[in-house]
Amino acid sequence: MAAVENFVVNTDEGLLPQADALPPELPSLPPGEWMKKNLFSSPFSTILTFVFGAMALAAINVLVDFIFSDERNWTAPATNLRLLMTQAYPADQYIRVWVSVGLVAVLTGLSTGLWNAGDALSMKRISMWFMTGGSFVALVALLAPFDSGRRTTWLILAAVVVGIGLAIWFGLGERRRSIFVRSIYVVFGVLGAIIGSLWVVKYGNYALADGELVADPDALVAPTTRIPWTILLAILVGTYFIGRGLAGKVAALLKAIVMGAWLLAPFIIVWVILRDPDLDWDHVISTDIPMALAFGFGGGLILYALTKPGLGEIGKIVAGVLLAVAAFNWVAAFFGWYPMLQKARLSFLFLAIFALAAANFAGDRRTRLQLVWGWLGFMAVVHYMATMANTASTLEIQGDFFLGGLSLTLFIAVLTLMLSFPLGVLLALGRTSRMPIFRVLSTVYIETIRGVPLITILFFFSVIIPIFLPSGMGLSETAAIVIGYTLFSAAYLAENVRGGLQAVRRGQFEAADALGLTGSQRTGFIVLPQALRVSIPPLVGQAIATYKETSLVSIVGGFDLTRIADKVISAQTDFLGVKMENLLIISFIYWVGAFSMSKYSQKLERRLGVGER
Amino acid sequence: MSISDATTAVSDELAARDDMIVCTGVDKWYGDFQALKGVTATIKEQEVVVVLGPSGSGKSTWIRCVNRLEQHQGGTIVVDGVELTNDVRNIEKIRSEVGMVFQQFNLFPHLTVLDNITLAPKWVKKQPKDVAEENARKLLDRVGIPEQADKYPGQLSGGQQQRVAIARSLAMEPRVMLFDEPTSALDPEMIKEVLDVMKELAQQGMTMVVVTHEMGFAREVADRIIFMEAGEIVEVGTPEHFFTNPTEDRTKLFLSQIL
Ligand SMILES: Nc1ncnc2c1ncn2[C@@H]1O[C@H](COP(=O)(O)OP(=O)(O)O)[C@@H](O)[C@H]1O
Ligand SMILES: [Mg+2]
Repeated sequence: MAAVENFVVNTDEGLLPQADALPPELPSLPPGEWMKKNLFSSPFSTILTFVFGAMALAAINVLVDFIFSDERNWTAPATNLRLLMTQAYPADQYIRVWVSVGLVAVLTGLSTGLWNAGDALSMKRISMWFMTGGSFVALVALLAPFDSGRRTTWLILAAVVVGIGLAIWFGLGERRRSIFVRSIYVVFGVLGAIIGSLWVVKYGNYALADGELVADPDALVAPTTRIPWTILLAILVGTYFIGRGLAGKVAALLKAIVMGAWLLAPFIIVWVILRDPDLDWDHVISTDIPMALAFGFGGGLILYALTKPGLGEIGKIVAGVLLAVAAFNWVAAFFGWYPMLQKARLSFLFLAIFALAAANFAGDRRTRLQLVWGWLGFMAVVHYMATMANTASTLEIQGDFFLGGLSLTLFIAVLTLMLSFPLGVLLALGRTSRMPIFRVLSTVYIETIRGVPLITILFFFSVIIPIFLPSGMGLSETAAIVIGYTLFSAAYLAENVRGGLQAVRRGQFEAADALGLTGSQRTGFIVLPQALRVSIPPLVGQAIATYKETSLVSIVGGFDLTRIADKVISAQTDFLGVKMENLLIISFIYWVGAFSMSKYSQKLERRLGVGER
Repeated sequence: MSISDATTAVSDELAARDDMIVCTGVDKWYGDFQALKGVTATIKEQEVVVVLGPSGSGKSTWIRCVNRLEQHQGGTIVVDGVELTNDVRNIEKIRSEVGMVFQQFNLFPHLTVLDNITLAPKWVKKQPKDVAEENARKLLDRVGIPEQADKYPGQLSGGQQQRVAIARSLAMEPRVMLFDEPTSALDPEMIKEVLDVMKELAQQGMTMVVVTHEMGFAREVADRIIFMEAGEIVEVGTPEHFFTNPTEDRTKLFLSQIL
């Protein structure tokens, strides 16, 4: 009992800030009445219940028959799990993959702790989950083509699960409605049960060692799988409690740091951890560091000067000149007029953008220095990243890119979303702008892209564009795909954002104007936040589509999750022609990602709905 | 015509003050519909002017021209010595001196009350965050809702929202406040709390132009009343003159309908 007490939500910890104590969940109808009300309320609904019940049963039956049929070769995906996750990432460097996942686990744990994520679940609901889950296992046991021994095992398992549910239900009595558990503990519990079972249940150990199939169905999974996952779970739980502990103290600053870390994480993971750049220290000391310092401090001085209050037109002129120089550098790069490191060009461009924003930071010394500090931090990140990305990798990798399988799928999806989101917002603003030139350009762009199939754009960028690039300018396959996909996705995101922009009431614009906010302040502080909030459902829909449609990459030659499941595994000598199993497994993997995004967006909507009636 | 007669009713003391808003022959068209027809009026420093008139008479259009939410097409508008032209700097200057309170409050729903109030001071006036927040709390105190600082507008009653809107305008330390039917969207029991805040503001010497249908407020607080109809100023005078002894037939008709 003490253990349960420990897990019970203590509202002092701020799970539900406004509630003094959680009210008990309402009692549910007795099963008989519940069925009468929800399933058999009228003759028509009775018929519907039977028709759809029969259809659902038939569907489950087909699926179960498929999965447990003797013809299935589940050894194929089991053996190739690593291939599906990371393709041919060198086995001796695999620790890098685990470190990357670990970094994500740390950030996830810290975030859930800091933001106190999750709801309160009543014991009643948990009990019902056990009962429903157990019943489902029983159903599977009865429908599957099992021999009697196996069927008995499954039925016993089902009985145990239902039994736990019943024990909670009747053991707690009416208290089941007023005892609450943090949902995050339930998640940890489920993860713990799954990962813990790796140490006891003999799922079998499958591998391709030097092309030889090693299949041992009566073994525990390999320690190289068991141990890292156990450590990851410990990291996740540990960082969660660290986050919870810190939540009250320096939360605002910490939250900002964690959010920044989330933004940087994909780049650090891909270019620094997974790619392991082989740094040329002479070059770093002679060129890279001096260059970063020059841009950082030189740019900082310029920006500090530009934030001088009352600078007026001069500030705008200087910013304009910087923008022109930045643009000219890119033109020059295209025609090959003068050599320049790409990161120098990037830095010029960013400096121009910062300079354009400088007028907003005119004020006292502290406000002015905010911009300068922001610039220094930004430059540090840009130069670090650019240097890492430009240095050759130490990895020995076959093929065009060192990622493949799920890691490539995620890489393309995450990078595309991160890049296309700001672009989409800009396009939406352009399309609703009062300036005809922006309006026309954005509209033409959006309508053109939306009229072309994604696969065409991907072909165009991966095959045709490289042909027309000036000599000496290469574009890797993956980069081409990400660029093409970003341009495509941005057009759709723009339309979603535009819908949100139109939902912002005119009074909001007027209030902002009447307060003397400038046009860009009005857009940034008033209009966009409201527009984006309204657009969350379509934006997440678009994000999910972007994630799933990375599978088209397999057609233009990328070794993503789909390509490996569909083409690579089925070409191995041991698994010739084995496809359906792999496709079912990757469908599940795609589904987990998409479903999590959808769930998260519902949360986000509810949370941001605060104060909106 | 009668406008000049009525203006003479204004006390010499008022006439001696500096001009705050000077409108001369202001015209405004929506398409080919003329919403303002040569509106001429002068509002003095620290004066409280109530604008009355039937719906659609151009009251909102006029005061919205004063801070350039609408662009006038004829005549001139001079606010505190600065003429409203297409020059962006003049518009910015005037907007930072003129506060406006809307019928529908127009609070920013995604920001807390405190952020609603401090946003413009921080970004337009470049006030440091702590200074802006201290001011905001003082203003919330002044409008009587210091305890609501961390709520969102959607969690407040209409009367509280309108008081936040007033505090938000005051945070920019305006020299003139424009009110466009500030109590028309409120339930009756909340009207008083907003009017009280406005009365206090008037007593403290704020220059105010108030479009309202609250005759009690007009009678009690206004220095002068301007009556508009069909895009024109029909009659101007002190509350006493206006309610006891109006000269124009149209004014008499309006008053007979409303009182
Ligand atoms: N944006 C607009 N477009 C067209 N006509 C308008 C617009 N705004 C106001 N009007 C018209 O101008 C006239 C004056 O409106 P308004 O100033 O809102 O009147 P009041 O505030 O006195 O009720 C009305 O006839 C109204 O229909
Ligand atoms: Mg009006």
